[in-house]
Amino acid sequence: MDVRNNRRDETGASVITANRLLDGRIVWLSAQGWSELISHARVFGNSEIESAIKQASTAAAARTVVGIYGVQLDPDAAGITPLTVRERIRAFGPTVHPDFAPVETQDVH
Amino acid sequence: MSTDTTTLPVGRYAYDQVDRTFLSQRVAQFREQVARRVAGDLSEDEFKPLRLMNGLYLQLHAYMLRVAVPYGMMGSDQMRALAHIARTYDRDYGHFTTRQNMQFNWIRLEDTPDILELLARVDMHAIQTSGNCIRNVTCDEFAGAAADELLDPRIHAEILRQWSTLHPEFSFLPRKFKIAISGSPHDRVAARFHDIGLVARPGPQGRPVFDVFVGGGLGRTPIIGVKLRDNLPEEDLVAYLEAIVRVYNAYGRRDNMYKARIKILVQALGVEAFREKVDAEFALMNRADYRLDPAIVAGIRARFGIPPLEAPADADRTLAAARRTDPAFDRWVRTNTHPHRHEGFICAVISVKPDGGIPGDITADQMDLVADLADSHSFGEIRVTHMQNVVLGHVRKDQLHELWQKLVAARLATPNIGLVGDIIACPGLDYCALANARSIPIAQKLSARFANPELQERIGPLNINISGCINACGHHHAGHIGILGVDKRGQEFFQLTLGGSAGGDVAIGQILGPALPEDETVDAIARLIDTYLVLRHDNEQFLDTYRRLGAASFKDAVYAPA
Ligand code: HEM
Ligand code: SF4
Repeated sequence: MDVRNNRRDETGASVITANRLLDGRIVWLSAQGWSELISHARVFGNSEIESAIKQASTAAAARTVVGIYGVQLDPDAAGITPLTVRERIRAFGPTVHPDFAPVETQDVH
Repeated sequence: MSTDTTTLPVGRYAYDQVDRTFLSQRVAQFREQVARRVAGDLSEDEFKPLRLMNGLYLQLHAYMLRVAVPYGMMGSDQMRALAHIARTYDRDYGHFTTRQNMQFNWIRLEDTPDILELLARVDMHAIQTSGNCIRNVTCDEFAGAAADELLDPRIHAEILRQWSTLHPEFSFLPRKFKIAISGSPHDRVAARFHDIGLVARPGPQGRPVFDVFVGGGLGRTPIIGVKLRDNLPEEDLVAYLEAIVRVYNAYGRRDNMYKARIKILVQALGVEAFREKVDAEFALMNRADYRLDPAIVAGIRARFGIPPLEAPADADRTLAAARRTDPAFDRWVRTNTHPHRHEGFICAVISVKPDGGIPGDITADQMDLVADLADSHSFGEIRVTHMQNVVLGHVRKDQLHELWQKLVAARLATPNIGLVGDIIACPGLDYCALANARSIPIAQKLSARFANPELQERIGPLNINISGCINACGHHHAGHIGILGVDKRGQEFFQLTLGGSAGGDVAIGQILGPALPEDETVDAIARLIDTYLVLRHDNEQFLDTYRRLGAASFKDAVYAPA
């Protein structure tokens, strides 16, 4: 995994992300499993994120996703919003196709 | 297989049962591999090389499938299959690339075997569209049609395709390997930005000969290819290329992927030493095994359908009359056509760059329409260009006006070929997992800003090329104005290069200065273009003004707005 994706400050908060194996779609680790919506994501303090990533990677559900890593959040944003442009695009869809933004589904697994 | 070329698909190589059996076995094999991955019998590390061998990447939002379009040529049936795939398995669109392929951005792993099966039904696949092997051989989009053509490069492109496909020795090269071939003295394939660039022409007794360029490329270290030899006889084409790739395979670096391309090897050894090694390898080879006899070439040529080019004697006059009565059509003919070798015909370039649109994106309905237009106006033949546009190669001049009207209705008649609006842009951070910044929005804003066709024609030939990272998929080094996305602590910045060119006057653009924040980039480029309009001599092209004056004259406009 690109180091850039794991760049984060000592303080602050992060969420955990991956791509779903079957369709490649971006998912976020929530309390119930992997969700397509970042708003469902479970927020970790940066001090605990490494161990949380490790845990997520060894969990049985890790078989259904690929490329698990942590994403630092923007402390100044209202909702759960990644700090970098790259991760905001992953979270909210390609900026050139607003119609392709992830939509609310019950699909947490 | 029939050798009556009038019944074969026009412009592309006709598959036979051997090709088809091979493809269907390949699909079955991949279906099995996907099933094993899904069942957990293969890990991602084990599976990744297998999917990449079938053109399937995992990108930012989903899987991306890159479909090979050999030397950019396809038939209307194939385009319809791509439209069907876009509609059924993607989000209703596909994306043409600078390597004359088509990419789908929203593919599901689960669906991929079915998609490959659909492709195989129309003699298409995604083999060697990824990986460290010889990729799709690219060629002139006007091949077999252009008035300035000396030799139809598709026949030799096909020979190289057959030679390189699943070549056992060259399936695991140090890095990917790209070959382009042109049969025109006007380089429309960026021959000197390829690992191997070939320029073909008739030699003694009309037999083809090739100038061979090697070690060109963009990416992190942009280098202009050097001429390795002149006048390579046709019969030695395969042997000589095999010798080059063999030397590269033996000596190319494998310890550092950024230094693994043949361009680095050629630079490290020096051209003379590299040539000596190739010549030594060539001398050792049993050339008879590789010899391309005229009969072999004729056999390949015979599997290309030839269009019956018959036009009414007054086709030219009909076209001229339509141009006189319809100024918008006249402008489009000026910008979007290319002279055909046959008097009554013309090549039409369909711009896949609408003002404010996404360069190279085409909807499923537009694909179907292009297929219909190819059937009605160009013998069912379609070409993808390295500028991310589409060409109908053989349009009757007296039918061009009608074709244009249909294109207008489908938003496919933007008169901007070669002008500011004809921007090359890679997918960038909106789709690409490697990107630092977005390419597409910059392209959209620029093309919207310069949408006025009169202004575009007044500005004249100007290539703006945008890449979202140093890999240079958008050819930014070769743009007259190049734009490179860079990442500064998670924010998008853009670095400008000026003076690049992919044509006969090949050059690598020079970096102008510090990178600009995203929200300043488009304005800065607009000021740069305004400055050129002020400084140019009568009708001088941007590249010539830049070469005459140098970067300094443009720096102020970009960095010190009034
Ligand atoms: C979205 C998936 C893509 C990925 C992951 C990708 C990856 C890369 C990488 C890693 C390189 C650098 C290679 C090197 O220097 O060794 C590269 C170069 C290049 N890619 Fe892409 N690319 C993608 C899409 C595209 C597209 C859409 C185009 C066409 C618009 C394209 C055309 C090129 C070209 C022309 C180069 C420069 C070749 C050279 O240096 O000779 N790629 N790509
Ligand atoms: S240049 Fe970079 S961002 Fe653009 S497609 Fe290539 S790898 Fe992706």
